Amino acid sequence: MAADPTFLGTVEDVSGATIRIKLAQATASGLSFIEGQSYRVGQVGGFVRVPLGFVNLYGVISHVGASAVPERLAAIEEQGNRWMTVQLVGEGQPGVGFDRGISQFPTVGDPVNLVTEFDLRTIYGRPNDPRFVSVGRLASANSIPALVEIDKLVTRHSAVLGATGSGKSTTVAGLLTALSDSALYPSARILVIDIHGEYGKALADRAAIFRISPDASKGERPLYIPYWAMTLDELLPVTFGSIENGGDRGAVIDRITELKLSGLKKWPRAGVTEEGVTVDAPVPFSIHRLWFELHCEMRATHYEKAGQSQSRDTWALEKDAAGTPVQPGDVMKCIPPRFLPPKDDKGDTEKIRYSRSSLGIGRALDALGSRLRDPRFDFLFRPGPYLPSAEGQMKQDLDTLLASWLGDDKPISILDVSGVPPSIQAELVGSLLRLVYDALFWARNIPEGGRERPLLIVLEEAHAYLGEKQTQVASVAVRRIAKEGRKYGIGIMLVSQRPAEIDPTILSQCGTLFALRLSNSADRGQIRNAASDNLEGLFSMLPVLRTGEAIIVGEAVNLPIRTLIDRPSAKRRPDSADPKVVVPGSESEGYESPGGWNQKRDPSDYAEAVELWRRQDAKSRRAQ
Amino acid sequence: MQRKPVSSSNIAEIGYDESRRILEVLFTNGSTYQYFDVSQQEYEDLMRAGSHGQYLNANIKGRYRYARV
Repeated sequence: MAADPTFLGTVEDVSGATIRIKLAQATASGLSFIEGQSYRVGQVGGFVRVPLGFVNLYGVISHVGASAVPERLAAIEEQGNRWMTVQLVGEGQPGVGFDRGISQFPTVGDPVNLVTEFDLRTIYGRPNDPRFVSVGRLASANSIPALVEIDKLVTRHSAVLGATGSGKSTTVAGLLTALSDSALYPSARILVIDIHGEYGKALADRAAIFRISPDASKGERPLYIPYWAMTLDELLPVTFGSIENGGDRGAVIDRITELKLSGLKKWPRAGVTEEGVTVDAPVPFSIHRLWFELHCEMRATHYEKAGQSQSRDTWALEKDAAGTPVQPGDVMKCIPPRFLPPKDDKGDTEKIRYSRSSLGIGRALDALGSRLRDPRFDFLFRPGPYLPSAEGQMKQDLDTLLASWLGDDKPISILDVSGVPPSIQAELVGSLLRLVYDALFWARNIPEGGRERPLLIVLEEAHAYLGEKQTQVASVAVRRIAKEGRKYGIGIMLVSQRPAEIDPTILSQCGTLFALRLSNSADRGQIRNAASDNLEGLFSMLPVLRTGEAIIVGEAVNLPIRTLIDRPSAKRRPDSADPKVVVPGSESEGYESPGGWNQKRDPSDYAEAVELWRRQDAKSRRAQ
Repeated sequence: MQRKPVSSSNIAEIGYDESRRILEVLFTNGSTYQYFDVSQQEYEDLMRAGSHGQYLNANIKGRYRYARV
């Protein structure tokens, strides 16, 4: 046995999938050379092989040393630290394939071997197989690519979790670069929800970028999220706020439905009948008109005329000497008409009264009005060609919107929501996802649908809108995709630095986890709970992982693997690097970048700072 | 803008737009910066310099306004 350089020791204890191994006296720890390759012996996260006749069992080392010694032996064992605990994960016949799960257990005395490159190759399949994509190299064996099965990665969802600066964005950029390789996957379809506008630069040549303030010179397009395609539950928080009173809510629902219906009568749209219109139907209506009508209904003053009920004819508009209204109001510009104050003077026959409307949504209506006038909300309430006129007519319909997001020539579409006011970010991301999901769900039997051309949705900074407490739209939409998306070819990749803040039910649906360095114990606990494998030893490594090193566990990988993620080339790195306070470099060789405390000052021009701030655009006007 | 690769410990590529007088530098750490109102002469001097990094630091940094792009 000692002649076999891969021999590590023998199985001494088996309990379920956990086995304990006593290292042979001859086994040197440290580096071992087998067929010209170096292997590290007894590394947590490393692999071992237990040959059992025609089958090899494979396992991952989770503990090494004294803590791995069975309790009862601890006292009598002389060299009590030469033990390892291993979690069995799968089996395979020598030289052919690998399957998860084990059909038989090892027993006491069975030899345990180091896993060599040859073994790893059989486990990890063929690197040229298009079903797998390489994301990096194994930390334990540099020559072996870490392959991830795309099918499982996409449809069973995944999560990339790691602290700031652990290499998260780089990992995602690397993955997306590999998946969007047009030679291998000419029809790849990836949608990135980018909260900080990080990925635009890294993936510029492969991605269609949609932004609220687009830079047309770079081919960026405006991001529109038409309000009328939202359901009532999505629309209310971003428009009226909440409407508690059932009667008021019902009235608003009725009005919206009426407006949708009247628009539909003039411009019929395929697929929706007049009888079938509901408040949630993705049919255009003019929210400006809704606001105008509700406003007038509640705020108008009326001339009181005997026998005449309040209506538009009794409006008491303020008029100038010539008899034309001073401010007649404008529906699309959200300018209310100006009414005369109420008047009830003794002896004066002309009486002006307040409106008798029973609606009690005055504040909500004012909030809506101010949002409709706020240019920051233009992407939502004045969505370019998707803005319905007061009557409900539009230049373009949802199909062109979906085609631009999901059917672009480029494999990746980046929806950069960095310009969305933070107060409504969660709602918007939610309705955007719901929109995409609904479209692909109903298109499931045609080539545009997710079954035929699956979609991967990357949710950057997911904790910002997927909190457990946040019972709103974003969590609901993502939970739905996480639970049902698999069947319809819609997969999610969550990216977050605070896994503890993400709804655990969503995280537990992620079949594959890319865990990068994480020190916070609550965050690590969350990952440990979400991971499908029983690999606590592996996850205890999370705080000491190097930058760009990840533990990949779950469905898309055969074995849990510790990987050094490939760094994308300088051009493909996301724009998320932390600013350096002290920039490396020297006077004689130059510095890594022009800023930093250790370099001479630049002349400052705060006028430009203010200009950019006012313009709400970080791009210098002189840059191109 | 077309950039030319250069051999330097800190700078990966340098480009220049004559009509707009913009010098563009891609650093090896992946960040790109544009310097404005840089003369053609300055650009040529930068390209000719023995150490691009040193020249950039000594003659361009602090003299021209820049922005990260």
